[in-house]
Amino acid sequence: MQEGLHLEELGEIPFDEKEILRYAMLPSFAPAPEELPLQECLKAVKGAAQCRAVWRRYPLKADGEGLDLGFARTDSKDLKRHLEGCGEILLFACTAGAETDRRIARAKLQSAAKGLLMHAIGAQQVEGGCDRLCEGLAEQFPDRQLTDRYSPGYGDLPLEMQRDVMKALDCGRTVGITLSESLLMTPSKSVTAIIGMKEKNI
Amino acid sequence: MTFMELLKKGPFFLDGGFGTLVQKAGLKPGEAPESWNLTHPDEVTKIHRAYFEAGSNMVACNTFGVHPERYSLKECEEMIRAAVICAEQARAEAYASQERFIALDVGPCGKLLKPLGPLDFEDAVKGFTEVVRIGASYGVDCIFLETMNDGAETRAALLAAKENCDLPVLVSNAYGADGKLMTGGSPESVVAMLEGLGADAVGVNCSLGPDALAPIVERYLAVASVPVLMKPNAGLPQEKDGKTYYNVGPEEFSAQIAALVPKGLRIMGGCCGTTPDYIAALKQAVGGQVPPALVKKERTVIASRGCALELGKDPMIIGERINPTGKKRLRKALEEGDMAYVLNEAISQEERGAEVLDVNVGTPGVDEPALLAQAVQELQAVTDLPLQLDTADAAAMERALRVYNGKAMINSVNGKQEVMDAVFPLVKKYGGVLVALTLDEEGIPATAEGRLAIAERILKEAGKYGIESKDILFDTLTMTVSADGTAAQVTLDALRMIREKTGCGTVLGVSNVSFGLPEREVLGSAFLTMALERGLSAAIMNPLNDRMMGAMISFRTLTGRDENCGAYIRFAGELPAMQAVSPAAPAAAGAKETGAKGLRRAVVKGLCREAGSLAREALTAGQDGLELVKNEIIPALDEVGQGFEAKKLFLPQLMMSAEAAEAAFREIKEKTAGQAEGQPSKGRVVIATVKGDIHDIGKNIVRLLLENYGFEVTDLGKDVAPETVLEAVERLHAPVCGLSALMTTTVPAMAETVALLHERAPWCRVMVGGAVLTEEYAKEIHADGYGRDAMAAVRLAEQFVQQ
Repeated sequence: MQEGLHLEELGEIPFDEKEILRYAMLPSFAPAPEELPLQECLKAVKGAAQCRAVWRRYPLKADGEGLDLGFARTDSKDLKRHLEGCGEILLFACTAGAETDRRIARAKLQSAAKGLLMHAIGAQQVEGGCDRLCEGLAEQFPDRQLTDRYSPGYGDLPLEMQRDVMKALDCGRTVGITLSESLLMTPSKSVTAIIGMKEKNI
Repeated sequence: MTFMELLKKGPFFLDGGFGTLVQKAGLKPGEAPESWNLTHPDEVTKIHRAYFEAGSNMVACNTFGVHPERYSLKECEEMIRAAVICAEQARAEAYASQERFIALDVGPCGKLLKPLGPLDFEDAVKGFTEVVRIGASYGVDCIFLETMNDGAETRAALLAAKENCDLPVLVSNAYGADGKLMTGGSPESVVAMLEGLGADAVGVNCSLGPDALAPIVERYLAVASVPVLMKPNAGLPQEKDGKTYYNVGPEEFSAQIAALVPKGLRIMGGCCGTTPDYIAALKQAVGGQVPPALVKKERTVIASRGCALELGKDPMIIGERINPTGKKRLRKALEEGDMAYVLNEAISQEERGAEVLDVNVGTPGVDEPALLAQAVQELQAVTDLPLQLDTADAAAMERALRVYNGKAMINSVNGKQEVMDAVFPLVKKYGGVLVALTLDEEGIPATAEGRLAIAERILKEAGKYGIESKDILFDTLTMTVSADGTAAQVTLDALRMIREKTGCGTVLGVSNVSFGLPEREVLGSAFLTMALERGLSAAIMNPLNDRMMGAMISFRTLTGRDENCGAYIRFAGELPAMQAVSPAAPAAAGAKETGAKGLRRAVVKGLCREAGSLAREALTAGQDGLELVKNEIIPALDEVGQGFEAKKLFLPQLMMSAEAAEAAFREIKEKTAGQAEGQPSKGRVVIATVKGDIHDIGKNIVRLLLENYGFEVTDLGKDVAPETVLEAVERLHAPVCGLSALMTTTVPAMAETVALLHERAPWCRVMVGGAVLTEEYAKEIHADGYGRDAMAAVRLAEQFVQQ
């Protein structure tokens, strides 16, 4: 494995039904339809999602008007604002894995409603994985303050940066994420993001 | 001794980490190690030499990253050539007395294969072919495929190696801490697949330290007939002062590996973090220990991507339903390329207890080789059951065997010389468990002895190819008892005789016995029990049939194979539930309102089962199907649709109503089938997710709703090229086309499709939708309409067909 890369096995993420319904576009005040096959879908995905992540720490420098992120440079104004005051970043990729995708593909064949729900479950799993990863990172760097996650494709940060992220984290080998020509990640329930780190104000 | 003799004898020492040392020698971050073959050959040679001097019997050339996905062919050739020269020089100069070999090192290509990734299987084979061809031409001693974490890629690389050189091939995979490959392969399924393809040694490397890899190695040792290798990391990477180091030292590392030698480990070395010190320590720790002699495992195993099944313990259930013979609906699906139907057949059989799925797509008018290969790939994307490839067309069999990820069941060969000449070479090359039918040029012998004689001839012929008898199952052919009263008896006698005389497993397609008779499963299930009693290893049968499944499960329970009768109790417990959803059952309990009025409420509330049964009731009571649609279902859908548009109802509710309506429509269609059309069509809509995009959740919702509202929808699926959309729109003269895209990067493909349709199919109105699209964006790419959500798409389509 390349120098500086850290692998994290995040394991199974507990299901959060409220959150899953939110990803399925059901607002929290609305009742779930009586026959919504949520339990069936949860059963179908149980044991499939094994979240794993890889991360790496980089120094952050100004580069003219833009930023030198250590693995790539960018002129993104939105990211610059997000990382204000930070001297370092953490770059990570997290995935709910190939088996999750297979379970989703299977459910989609059975019905559109199951497809929607499985997609929502997958999203909750990988986001839950990111949360767990970030909690761990906060513990690892107790003297630093961490910003929220910021992903390529947000604001004016180009999605093309995914190519640099894949290379920097050796994603194919470390966590099994690959990128298509149109910049889609496989497995589909995967997240890449940048977190800023600054000294804690005491 | 030859290289292979040394491997089989063991212990045989490999080298250790290369990257670790080359980084120490000054390789910069981001610089490719293989480039050093050309820029720093002396450093590369020095590392190899250090390993030989530490006691390695083999070093892997510095070619791990060389692949046409990363370099031009010319660069590949230059780097591989330089790498071999470095290793040869090290071999010549090393101060060492042991036998020394050089391997072409082949790592992963960096892209994931279909269906998970973008890379086509044959393209993957082509890439590895180049690497192997170049390496072999420079005189390496063997091919070392290593660190691959995907079974399909490993398969492509091994096939390329076997097809393009005669060198021994060692295959080493990288497992996760969960004991699986990244794409789900297990040690047992991987070994079955690799041995089937002719790997000369198998094993594991990288990712973990020796203690964590040991249980995986032991699983390899339990099932592998070829030598097993192990090349772990020096523990796990840790960081100190910004530097990475590994947490297991040479002594501990060596002791953990050496402990596996008495268990049969014979090839060993190190991966990331290990150095010549580790290899020297390892050699010392092993000392004079010699692994026990290599034993062939007499196991009949089939495997899928991640599941290995051993035949001969419990009788197995092979689902027969993916076979168009006598199935009109499946035949139509195959002719139309409706793979979703085929996949659903697979899922329903799996859910009801099938352990293997027979796959036969042969029907007049289809390109069977292409269709069978496609079916195999798509099935493997949704089910992990091993497949039985069922075709009489040798070309179709070969295409399917190439892409099948695992070790397949091959259905079938028989005693005809011509058939054996065509099928045996395939089994030899790709591996598999073969179903052999006891018939020949003369037909099916009328006696059990005659069938046994054919079986013996088949075994003899298979032996010429080196195919072992453990990989052959005999089918003694179920004949129709209504045509010949002794037919079943002969089949069963032959079954027992072949089992006793040859020791081979057996398989029968049981359904045929009752052909032409009433209540077929009564006879069929009795026949199955009789066959099982005579030692049947696998039954090709319908797992959706309770009676047949009941016979199989009862047999298992009655022969001590069902602990605490658990499987039987589970099966029995599901029986009433099955009856409740069967079409003959009365309306679901708890439905307060009945008839048409209840139907409307059921659709609004999204109650699928109730909607179906109420529709059936209303129809049985003499109500007109069309009236039901017009007066109940459509108003219900409208009510929900309006609620959705007013943001009082939300997507899951809209979808459940759509599915409830769908359930009612199914009943109406069934009733009106044979008569004129059910609901009159509002028009044809072609829909697709555009090229490069694989998001289809939204598109599927749109399809469901459009169908609810009476449109005939042709769904082209996802990642669809503009030309394919145009072809469908032209062929169907569709007035409306719906395109979906979720990514900014795929909107250009959408724009291209819209432009092509406007130019070549000017009658067609194009509506677009998807997460990144907006009204303005849609205008910019000249779409005729923008569907904010699925309801909006329905409204647009209605508007387009009215104009």
